Amino acid sequence: MSENRFAAGFLVPGGLWLLLLFVVPLGILLAISFGTTDDLGNALYGWYPENYERVFDSIYIEVLARSVGYALATVALCALVGYPVAYYIAVFGGRWKNVLIALVVLPFFVNYLVRTYAWIAMLGDEGLVNGILGDDIQFLNTPWAVIGGLTYGYMAFMILPVYAALDRMDPALREAGKDLYGGPWQTFRNVTLPHTRQGLLAGTVLVFLPAVGDFVAAQLLGGPDEYMVGNLIQQQFLAADNWPFGAALTVVMMTFLLIWMVLYLRSAAREAREVAA
Amino acid sequence: MSSLAQADAPAAAPARRVAAKPPRDFDRPRFLRVFVGLFFVVMFAPIALVVLFSFNASRSLQNFDGFSLRWYERFFESETLRSSLLASIEIALITMVVATALGTLLAYGLVRARVRWSGAMNVLMLVPLVTPEIVAGTSALLLFTQVGLELSLTTIVLGHITFSISYVTVVVRARLAALDADVEHAAMDLGATRWKTFALITLPALWPAILAAGLLVFALSFDDFVLSFFTTGESPQPLPVRIWAAIRFGVTPTINAIGTFMLAISAVTIGLAIALPRLLGRRESGLGVLLGREGA
Repeated sequence: MSENRFAAGFLVPGGLWLLLLFVVPLGILLAISFGTTDDLGNALYGWYPENYERVFDSIYIEVLARSVGYALATVALCALVGYPVAYYIAVFGGRWKNVLIALVVLPFFVNYLVRTYAWIAMLGDEGLVNGILGDDIQFLNTPWAVIGGLTYGYMAFMILPVYAALDRMDPALREAGKDLYGGPWQTFRNVTLPHTRQGLLAGTVLVFLPAVGDFVAAQLLGGPDEYMVGNLIQQQFLAADNWPFGAALTVVMMTFLLIWMVLYLRSAAREAREVAA
Repeated sequence: MSSLAQADAPAAAPARRVAAKPPRDFDRPRFLRVFVGLFFVVMFAPIALVVLFSFNASRSLQNFDGFSLRWYERFFESETLRSSLLASIEIALITMVVATALGTLLAYGLVRARVRWSGAMNVLMLVPLVTPEIVAGTSALLLFTQVGLELSLTTIVLGHITFSISYVTVVVRARLAALDADVEHAAMDLGATRWKTFALITLPALWPAILAAGLLVFALSFDDFVLSFFTTGESPQPLPVRIWAAIRFGVTPTINAIGTFMLAISAVTIGLAIALPRLLGRRESGLGVLLGREGA
């Protein structure tokens, strides 16, 4: 038995599992999205492209656009806040680097629902902030509450890849920028930023993808006016019992995200090649 | 203010002289330090609030009226919540064991095998990582109902394993890629079979990564809400699904207690993931292993 065939055998169990429980379900999702429901609300297969026509109705398209808008705002905020933090840890962290990165990751391991709920406790009408201010400011049920919740939820996904890129970067490069009489801003723009572009790209995609599909933040921190496509999908599946329409919404969202996924996978593959080389 | 800090961030760049020597304290731009400090305050304030008020004697979220364990009592006295906690732990344990085994094998195959379909395999492994959970949840729900599998803890476990395999593979693969294949060849030159080499040489070298990945999967599965939400049966439901139902009725201090308790379990798990590889007598830290770095 060649070494190659021996190792190839190791691909089988995991590969089969992913095929049966990941690829096949996506196929079913696609099939059901062209289906319909019987009188009891059970999903039936068939050819009903009307589901897709309905997705492009103005009310639903509005929700889709809102989801993308919120997710893009989340990405921008994560980058604006996360980049300086990653930079500080990578450049000035010294022997505290690992501790600081662990601190960045730590909130991520507090249950997402509990973290979101914590913001209700902070900013709600009877929350801590209004209690301290003795005021009645409405923070929640606004678009910014949802965007803030998403940013808080997915921050680690931006910081980690950016940090990894900054940490990998040779400090001598920044030195060289300075030696060539580059100011701090010029050094950053022409040396540091280009060198961390891949980390930034990875962070962008890793934040954008889950943010578009999120329904927790919009439901808990926002209201029906802030609902995202995830809320619609969840309603169709678990409340309205129109699975084919829910599936069509999911497929449309997924198709849109596919572009970003391909971007990320290509960048990840390139990175893997660079590490291997 | 965030954009200000970003624009100013590069001022830090020229401060560094020698790669090995950490910059001295006065080299650090102060505003950047303040910014990072504020960042951590905002990240931890809500969590600290939940933990603190889980010990509050009253229902209030604005005033702390003395220390009490009454919300924890309420948590553990509830039959439903207790069974949910046990269900969550059971799901996470089974997911950890199965996904770690499958993911490790897959990592070995991806690194060592050169076959035509390894490229496709690699994509198949990476896609679940970037698939929004709601897509995973709805498609898993469709699969289970189509094959007539009743929704229960089993369906949740099946869903969790599917999305945990890739995490294990990514972590273990980074470690494996850093491992010199010549060591394995040497073992085989000395007469070991391929299986023996895998069991006696490769696996022991991968232990820190396998352990860290397993614990990571436990924490992710234990905390998972979306996948569980779509694949859960009536009862018992995992803890996060219960929390969701409770939050929608408004803020109650019992949720603070549940949240704090879950936080403790996650913290212990992640602490183990970081500390254990080091306790095994290796130089690297578990954090480095998880981040795919060697010898951190």
